[in-house]
Amino acid sequence: MPLLSAKDREYVRDFFNKELQGKVELVLFLPAKAEEARASRENPYLPQMLELMQELTGLSPKLALRVVRPDTDPEVFALYGVPLGAYPVLALLGEGGVDYGIRFYGIPAGYEFRTLMDDLVDVSRGHSRLKPETIRQLADLKTDLDFQVFVTPTCPYCPKAVRLAHQFALESPHIRADMIEATEFSELANQFNVYGVPKTVINQGAQEIEGAVPEEMFLEAALAAAAETG
Amino acid sequence: MLELGSLIESNDGWRLPAGEAGGNGGDGDATHYDVAVIGGGPAGLSAALYTARAGLRTIVLDKSPYAGALGLTDKIENYPGVPGPVRGVDLLKTMRDQALSFGAVYIQETVLSADGRTTPKEIITASRTIRAERLIVATGSLGRVASLPGEERLLGRGVSYCATCDGAFFTGQPVAVVGENEEAVEEALFLTRFARKVHFIVKGHTVRASAELTAELREHPRVTWHERTRVKEILGDTRVEGIRILPSGGSEEILPVKGVFVYLQGNRPILDFFQGDVPELTPEGYVKVNEEMETSFPGVFAVGDLTGKRVRQAVLAAADGVLAALAVERQLRGREKIRAAW
Repeated sequence: MPLLSAKDREYVRDFFNKELQGKVELVLFLPAKAEEARASRENPYLPQMLELMQELTGLSPKLALRVVRPDTDPEVFALYGVPLGAYPVLALLGEGGVDYGIRFYGIPAGYEFRTLMDDLVDVSRGHSRLKPETIRQLADLKTDLDFQVFVTPTCPYCPKAVRLAHQFALESPHIRADMIEATEFSELANQFNVYGVPKTVINQGAQEIEGAVPEEMFLEAALAAAAETG
Repeated sequence: MLELGSLIESNDGWRLPAGEAGGNGGDGDATHYDVAVIGGGPAGLSAALYTARAGLRTIVLDKSPYAGALGLTDKIENYPGVPGPVRGVDLLKTMRDQALSFGAVYIQETVLSADGRTTPKEIITASRTIRAERLIVATGSLGRVASLPGEERLLGRGVSYCATCDGAFFTGQPVAVVGENEEAVEEALFLTRFARKVHFIVKGHTVRASAELTAELREHPRVTWHERTRVKEILGDTRVEGIRILPSGGSEEILPVKGVFVYLQGNRPILDFFQGDVPELTPEGYVKVNEEMETSFPGVFAVGDLTGKRVRQAVLAAADGVLAALAVERQLRGREKIRAAW
């Protein structure tokens, strides 16, 4: 039985048809085949992640799915900075394989499914729909920034934080932004003392943002983290 | 463990924006309205009554009939035309029924975000996205800022305002819920799926929620009900370790909880759904409006207690709603000015 209902599938197909411009490659990082059964017991969303991405990419000729595994494609993990033991992870690549630094650690389900849809549109167009002033300031950024946005799929406030981080990544080659589904990546969540979502950690804690905040505040935190990191 | 399966199997599937996920009883496109009203108090319902009666497709989004200032009033004897005493919730029901009788759609959902700058206005709730040509905001002034000792300091460290977001972090742990409205009851019930123990702390002896929901919470085996109890402090250094409470006539005690979920009311205008991008405010922090109740965002109107009236009476809020409704009708129908309407 498909994960998306017939009605939702039609909606998404129509949405992609209207909104997508260039091609987008979805690179899905999974465990080695031999590890898959054990990994799926540990994380029941793993098989659903693959199934969801297959269904989704089947809804537009502009979307393509590439599945990579540590045993067969270790160089791809290295190229995109995904740890070999981390799965499932999704990277979105724009036309010509451009990596904007947009990642999903864990399944973009629940409210985050909409985040993925909007991200796909941005990546296919190569621009973010942020305010012009934000884009201008991000263009001046010279410091590498790593955003980790912790979420749960049942959090209605979380997509705003993930979207902003991903939009920032799209606008600046110095920014990488990971959505992290906290229940699937509980060790990371524990490491950064996540007891409420969304929580955004910049550069391993140089700045932290609790909750969904306006674009301007998100930018302020990014610039402060850049100043601290130097 | 998150119940992702239920999300997948639910009717609204992957939480697509509304309408895509199912109709709501409105005519035609169930996501697009002429007028969206946030707030189901006297101001919002009066506005909806007028716009619906004028043939404008109208939707009212209301967090809870028990949530607002009128909803928590027990006895009203001076609402013109309504011989009292009548309970606030009953008066609201009459107003709601009247608005519905003219075709307004009423949905009990909390608005998470609203974009006032674009047209159509985009309004997002937990399960749908609504687009409306005009937005009437009637959310009242029972909002609050963090005021319990320890609350602000421990936000994100065990203090939360969203059980559906954060409940999973408290699996197998004891938590406390502080509040006395329907939202508090619903969120406490949600937390019973994760938490080992839910302490429900209410200042009075009852909550403003339906009797069925309240009974379900009170009788839940993992819930301890603390009534006539005040919260003195949320305790903890880097994360919540407990909550100090004072039961009426008793002595202070500390409940060893790891999470505190707060659903209290205050006296600030409720504008959080604008997510920081709010229309112009008065020096006192209320929404600035012109004589037609329009805010600095074109097409966004604010009515009722949000506008910071010196006198807060349901009948004045209702009148605000009518002014806004007539202005909306004029704008959408292209009239130059409001004609005398009888």
